[in-house]
Amino acid sequence: MLTPKERLKAIFEGQKVDRPVCICPGGMMNMITTDLMDQIQVFLPEAHHDARQMAELAKAVYEQGCFENYGVPFCMTVEAEEMGAKVDMGTKVYEPHVVEYVMDSVSDYEKLTPVDVTKGRAGVVTDAIRILKEETSGVPIVGNLTGPMSTASSVMEPVNFYKELRKKNKQAHDYMDFITDQLIAFGRAQIEAGADIIAISDPSGTGEILGPKFFKEFAVTYLNKLLDGLKKENVGTIVHICGQMHSVYKEINEVHSDVLSFDSVVPMKEARANLKDRVLMGNVSTYAIEFGDPDRVKMLTTSCRRGGADIISPACGLGMKSPLTNVQAILECLTEGV
Amino acid sequence: MAVSKEELLKRLSDGVLEMEEDDVVEAAKEYLEAGYPAFDGIMEGLVDGMNRASELYEAEEYFVTDVLLCSDAMYVGLDVLRPHLPEVSSDAKVKGVIGVVEGDTHDIGKNLVKIMMETAGFEMIDLGRDVELQKFVDVAKEEKVDLVCMSTLMTTTMGGMETVIHLLEEAGIRDQVKVMIGGGPISQKFADKIGADAYTTNAVEAVKCAKKMLNIA
Repeated sequence: MLTPKERLKAIFEGQKVDRPVCICPGGMMNMITTDLMDQIQVFLPEAHHDARQMAELAKAVYEQGCFENYGVPFCMTVEAEEMGAKVDMGTKVYEPHVVEYVMDSVSDYEKLTPVDVTKGRAGVVTDAIRILKEETSGVPIVGNLTGPMSTASSVMEPVNFYKELRKKNKQAHDYMDFITDQLIAFGRAQIEAGADIIAISDPSGTGEILGPKFFKEFAVTYLNKLLDGLKKENVGTIVHICGQMHSVYKEINEVHSDVLSFDSVVPMKEARANLKDRVLMGNVSTYAIEFGDPDRVKMLTTSCRRGGADIISPACGLGMKSPLTNVQAILECLTEGV
Repeated sequence: MAVSKEELLKRLSDGVLEMEEDDVVEAAKEYLEAGYPAFDGIMEGLVDGMNRASELYEAEEYFVTDVLLCSDAMYVGLDVLRPHLPEVSSDAKVKGVIGVVEGDTHDIGKNLVKIMMETAGFEMIDLGRDVELQKFVDVAKEEKVDLVCMSTLMTTTMGGMETVIHLLEEAGIRDQVKVMIGGGPISQKFADKIGADAYTTNAVEAVKCAKKMLNIA
């Protein structure tokens, strides 16, 4: 019998295994729900600031039969906050989000504080990974990064950011270089602490917003700079992009990650047909997980599997009010009758 | 030698389509100096350019970043031409309130819808992002709006839309407004479930749908 870690590793390497794994990385792809918090009496938003609590919630995700991985953090605001953005830490049902930007233009990036990976919430995340590494085995630990485009548009007004990709092209590239260097530092710290996998979610760097030209020039370029900067033996990488992909399949195929993940607007069959040789992850509707029932979730899980997903995961962050039974239905569906 | 009206209208339209703010401002000034009516300059010049941009957007030749820059060019042109419009009472315009629901700050889609709606002649009151749910209702009531438009990109916050609909009912104005919703995780099914009047997948569709619901040609 394979451990979850062995099974996932084999899938990352493109080997045939007994069944797909079921993971939810964390970060933007949040997997913490109120049901889960109630079960172990550890709560958000407090756990965003406490490595022990963060690690306990991450453990519960696996122990309660939700997903076959540990993952931290549970939001996509750590990088932006460490660089100076003001973050509302959210509640038991709302995720943290940026409420105040640091700057108005890409050319102002010297106003940003470089990320100190030992301090603040970056330090909490690496400490939580260290705890997971020490106290567990056999289950993959996923460290998460907010993607370069999404981080870049979290410390300044996104509309200005998107416009300046064209209007201040050179400065926009300098800015993206700076942002990507911060992410490389944070990613390396997570790997050093014990992360087996780094998942990068870049929901703001979509083909729908950028179009193929800017998607390639910015999203793909800096994802690859980040991925190449994290290259280290035995560390797997996942990249999650939101939105329709049909205009940018060629470009996304150039991303150097081991695994590609899409949200639920992308039919898995379509992704598989366009990305024949890639390891694909996805994409059970988080709407169905929150508002549907276990049967519906199982039906969607089967459909993802048949569509060609190698790793089954929610298509986005879980709504915090998703019932535990619905969340557990994905993994149940994969282990039934194996 | 005087430049023809058609030529200037084309420059206004092309300037918007090609995102050239300076060209638009220059053409708008020349247009006014030549004594042509501001209204035509807006409708047949700037708005025409924006409509062409939205056609390219629908055809997936233009993307969100392009449309944002086109709208910038349109707005600088409007700043020049608008002061020269004859006075019209604002009651004549169909009004809408628009915002991203509480808990979410993703507003690119909302901004696009607002731009397209304004281009189509709606008066939109923009509440911004992370909008307290009661505010949609308060503004709808005060401003006597015809449309309440809400968006979110997050599953965690979509429930707020249903709350707003309940609050509209409580305020006794649910039947006076059409509720339109959109955003990544939203679907027709969700719209039906919470009792919204319409769900659309993009900004161009939103305009068509709003016009249809309110019987505007």
